[in-house]
Amino acid sequence: MSHSPYLGGVNLVERRAISRLIHRVGFGPKPGEFEKLLSLGFDRASAQLLNPPATYSETQAQSLGLFDLGVQPRPNTPEILDYVDKKRFQLRTMTLWWLDQMVTLDNPLLERMTWFWHGHWATSYAKVDEPLVMFEHVNKLRQHAIGNFRAMAKEMVLDGALIFWLDGQKNTAAAPNENLSRELMELFILGVNRYSEADVKETAKALTGYKVKKSSGVVTSNLRQSYTGSISFLGTSGNFNALSLTDYLVSQRNCQRFIPERLWYRFITSATDLPMNSNIESAFTAREIASTMGALVRDSALQNPNFSQVRSPLEWLIAILRATKITPSKFERPDYLINLLNGLGQRPFYPPNVGGWPADEAWLSAASTQTRISAAQYLMKRADLSPISALPQASRIEGLANWLGVSSWSERTRQAFSGALRDPERLAVLAVCSPEYLVNA
Amino acid sequence: MDTITRRRFIQMTGAGAVATAAHTLSIEEIANAAISRPLPLGTPILVVVTLYGGNDGLNTVVPFQDSVYHTLRPQLAYKDNQVIPIGDGLALNGAMTGFKSLWDKGQLAIVRGTGYPNPDRSHFSSMAIWQSAELNASKSGWLGRWVESQPEDPLLAISLGSVLPPLLAGNRRSGSVLPLGGLKVPGGSLASDCAKLSITSPQDDRLTAMAARSMRNLFEVSGEVTPILKDPAPPASDLPTLVGGNAGGDSNLSAQLEIVAKLIAAGSPTKVWSVSLGGFDTHADENTAQSLLLGAVSSSLSKFMSQMRSTNRSKDVTVLVYSEFGRRVRANASQGTDHGTSGPVFLLGEKVKGGFHGEQPSLNNLKDDDLAVTTDFRDIYAEMLESVLKTESSRVLANWRSKLSLVN
Repeated sequence: MSHSPYLGGVNLVERRAISRLIHRVGFGPKPGEFEKLLSLGFDRASAQLLNPPATYSETQAQSLGLFDLGVQPRPNTPEILDYVDKKRFQLRTMTLWWLDQMVTLDNPLLERMTWFWHGHWATSYAKVDEPLVMFEHVNKLRQHAIGNFRAMAKEMVLDGALIFWLDGQKNTAAAPNENLSRELMELFILGVNRYSEADVKETAKALTGYKVKKSSGVVTSNLRQSYTGSISFLGTSGNFNALSLTDYLVSQRNCQRFIPERLWYRFITSATDLPMNSNIESAFTAREIASTMGALVRDSALQNPNFSQVRSPLEWLIAILRATKITPSKFERPDYLINLLNGLGQRPFYPPNVGGWPADEAWLSAASTQTRISAAQYLMKRADLSPISALPQASRIEGLANWLGVSSWSERTRQAFSGALRDPERLAVLAVCSPEYLVNA
Repeated sequence: MDTITRRRFIQMTGAGAVATAAHTLSIEEIANAAISRPLPLGTPILVVVTLYGGNDGLNTVVPFQDSVYHTLRPQLAYKDNQVIPIGDGLALNGAMTGFKSLWDKGQLAIVRGTGYPNPDRSHFSSMAIWQSAELNASKSGWLGRWVESQPEDPLLAISLGSVLPPLLAGNRRSGSVLPLGGLKVPGGSLASDCAKLSITSPQDDRLTAMAARSMRNLFEVSGEVTPILKDPAPPASDLPTLVGGNAGGDSNLSAQLEIVAKLIAAGSPTKVWSVSLGGFDTHADENTAQSLLLGAVSSSLSKFMSQMRSTNRSKDVTVLVYSEFGRRVRANASQGTDHGTSGPVFLLGEKVKGGFHGEQPSLNNLKDDDLAVTTDFRDIYAEMLESVLKTESSRVLANWRSKLSLVN
């Protein structure tokens, strides 16, 4: 086996494990970060990635200039133009702010997990249509992203964006709407088929009577439209409201299985299910997310060579921006980045449906390949390529792997690089479009 | 009958006059949708193949051991060594070798004697009945009504060709059409480097190999789809459109299926595809013409199914093949057959219950010299709606519930 100085003498198994860490638990390495983690070794590297410095302070909507836009003015009035401008500006601001966090934080674990939960509670601006309300929805997820799932779930069930998204405001005792109650059990807390249709009908009653003020997301309870009787579901009966219902659902044994299943799906593999009796599942007993992620990272599955993952468009882009030191809001055309994510099908605040974004194979269409190639060309023209251009040509192939946190290049990809060694920009384009970069092996 | 095009067929049936204009899609539009909201794996897809002109069922699924068959069409009847026996005294037309291999894998279902009460022998009336699924053919197609039962999405149901077939026309909303032309494939100086990246490596795991293949697909799209889409589908020289007459339908089924295969593989968020083949109106010199057509149906669909196997969607795809009627049992004086009644309907796919369904109409019990109808076609549609498209059939077919179980 060849040990070039850039492999640092680290064996391939360790390189893969650390490549998975930095790309799955993180958003990809900043320049030099992958080598540093390699020198720490897997255990210390994972401890570092899982323990972000406690310097985080919550960003308030106000400080970003997000405020309640009020009722939408009528069409063809002078007011509507101003309103639409403000709305667009707010949405753009909060999108770039979030992308900035993902790209610039040295330890982006909190944003990585917030991103995961955004796909889990998949609520879309496409229906909510209020920047402030969407921002606060995601901010609540951020607040609990590596905290307690029970607290998160209780926050969500009374979140204005989520209720509006799932028609909760239309759910009244007189005419129950089961959208929210079904998704609460199927997609958010228990998993499909772990409840009966009767349970859906019954639990919907506990969720009746909540009203959302669209522009502010403020939720109130309208007692006249609330069902006040007793309900029977999942082996219990009694009087429940949204909070006590959620509390009961989170206490279910199936919740302990379901959330680890979703973490497994997104961080380990979509190809096979979470095994029974996994440590990841037992780590979720207290519904604590950080310790569950710890168990996930320590699980041997993270190092299983079969469990490669296709990088989703946002993960692909953020990893490139981190490596090339491009800060989204300071980029010459920030809107290019938002449009790119939109074109690739993964714009933040816009999950495609309540099931969240797809995974793996779904991202590998010929058309998306085309888009990635042209985006890579555009970005690399404007990127800091010093990590490669500073290297002698003979070291550039290994240098690319370390810069981007790729465990190894195949002979195929080395061949493609070989004609471009003199040209760092072309090398960088090829590297981020290579199968080894698209897939975190 | 005159040689007519499907366009004219549609004008004549009045289906072109539905209130809703069909959305005309571009390949880019589909490609973008395939990226931004690909059809989730595991979502069932229905591909409907319409054989225009009235396919002669008796020489498709041939009762070759029945002496009445040989008596009634002495010059048209196939002999034992000309057909492919598949049991029950029946055999596939000798040109349908592709269907035979699907049959052997249990991926071909044949629903025998399919039609509707009081058969109408007009191409247009009968096709209108089949496409609307209503006996007093309405202007909306059964899959058009299905489109209306779904959340609005122009990519939900797509017909290849520039004219919307009646089956995709709804009352308020319709399926879309993809004209066979107009793909813009971006070039780029990076192309040769990227071509190197598209080769799968022995070191690749499954997903990494798929990533390489997605790069290769890009080049295949530019290399293969462009020429197909750029020109109107050329009339295939091996298909006898003149001899057999052409009661609607496009002439190049394999080109249409090729595009459908690529777009399904690319992840187009489309649950229903409609393609067609014309030329089945075999009033004269039937055997050569029909064999060529059935050979084209069989080979292009078996190729399509094998293309599906190279994607992850082979389990998701079900193909329905039908024609507006079968043909008269007794041959006419010009080695052809005239318009008849019932005929076999084919279902293809890994999920279908392979084998025979429905009763074979007896040649000893003809009704006005025609085959009896033993299966109502709406039973098949209802099953497609319920089991494939997961839609309550009563939303599309007024009060019709399937008595058949054709799909697992």
